[in-house]
Amino acid sequence: MKEMELMIYAILSLESDSGKLDSILTGIKGISGADLYSVSFNATTAIVSDINRTDLIANSSNAIAYAGVIETLAQQYSLLPMRFGSIMESTGAILRMLERNHPEIEKNLLKVKNKVEFGLKVFCDSEKLKGELIRISEAKTARPPHQTPEPQISVFREYVNKKLEAHKLEEMLLAHVDSVIAGITNHLDQLNAVCKFRKMVTETMIIDAVILLENSLKDPLIHQIEEFQIQFPGLNFVLTGPWPPYNFVETTIK
Amino acid sequence: MSENKILFNTGSLDELTQEIGKLNNVDESKLKLTPDNADSGLAKLVLTLVELIRKLVEKQAMRRVDGGSLTDAEIERLGETLMNLELKMEELKKHFNLTDRDLNINLGPLGDLM
Repeated sequence: MKEMELMIYAILSLESDSGKLDSILTGIKGISGADLYSVSFNATTAIVSDINRTDLIANSSNAIAYAGVIETLAQQYSLLPMRFGSIMESTGAILRMLERNHPEIEKNLLKVKNKVEFGLKVFCDSEKLKGELIRISEAKTARPPHQTPEPQISVFREYVNKKLEAHKLEEMLLAHVDSVIAGITNHLDQLNAVCKFRKMVTETMIIDAVILLENSLKDPLIHQIEEFQIQFPGLNFVLTGPWPPYNFVETTIK
Repeated sequence: MSENKILFNTGSLDELTQEIGKLNNVDESKLKLTPDNADSGLAKLVLTLVELIRKLVEKQAMRRVDGGSLTDAEIERLGETLMNLELKMEELKKHFNLTDRDLNINLGPLGDLM
C-alpha cells in the first residue's frame, strides 16, 4: 500500500483569524483535487495536502494546480512559496521543520511582507539594434576624407579583424543593455523596489528582470514602464504580475 | 500566462507566447544518451565542451587584440591558430553529423553558448 505524505505549497504567518484561512482553503483544491489544510508552529503555518509521492508527476497540469494554490493564498497573505515537489512524511516532520527553521522563515516573511513580485522582460530585434549601434559608432569615429587606402593584409589578419569587429559589436550591445538596466534601476530605486536582472537571455530577450515591490505601488510601476517604453522606442517592455515572491525567498529549509 | 497578468505590453500576445516558448525549449539542449547512441551522444558532449573552451579562448584573444597588447606578428599567428581551430571544429562536427544547434547549451545566467 502506498504511504500518504504531505505536499507543502507555501508557508505564511497567521497572526490572527485562522477562520479566514480555513474558509480560503475550503474553496480551493490542491494537486489531484486534494483537500488543503494547515499545519502551524506558533503563527508560522504551512499549507499542505496529502499526496502519494509516486503519483506526483511534474507536468503542466500539476504545476498549474500547485501555482494556483500559491497564487490564491498570495492574494490574501504574504507568503513564502515552496518549491514544486516539497514533500514531507508527516505532520510531525513539518512541525519539526517549522520549529527548526523558524528564525529564517520569519526573516524571509518579513522581507516579503505586503510585497509582490513583478516580471519585466525587455525584447528587441538584436540585429536591428546592432545595426543601430554600428551606425552610432561609425558616426563617432568617422574617418577624414582622402585617407590613404589600407595596405594589403593577410588572410589571418583579415580573420582576426572580422572576429574583432564581431567582438566589439557584442561589447557595444552589452554596454547598451547595461545602460538600460542602469536607467531602470535608477528609476525603480525611487519606488524602493528590489530588482534582479539577467542579461541576454535569448537573441531577442535582452533583459529578464524580477522586481519586488510594495503591493500598493503597482500603478506607479506600470506608469514607470510606460515611461521606459517612450524613452527606449526600439525596445519592447513587457510587465507581468503581481506574482508571489518566487525569486526573493532566500532560504534553504533544513 | 493568463492575459490579466500582463500589465504592460506593446507587442501582441502571440509574439510574447512565442518568445516565452523559446525559453521552455530545453529539450534540444539535453544530452540523450542510450546504449544505441553512446558514441554520438558522447561526441556531442565532448564537442560541446571543446566549443565552449574554443569560444572562451577566442573571446579572451579578442580582448587582448582590442587592448593593443599584441604585436603584428603575434596577431598574425593568433589569426592562423584561431582559423585552424575553427576549421578543425567544423571537420569534427561534420564527422559526427552535428550542427551548431546541436552544440548549443544554455549556460544559465550567461545565456546560450552560441
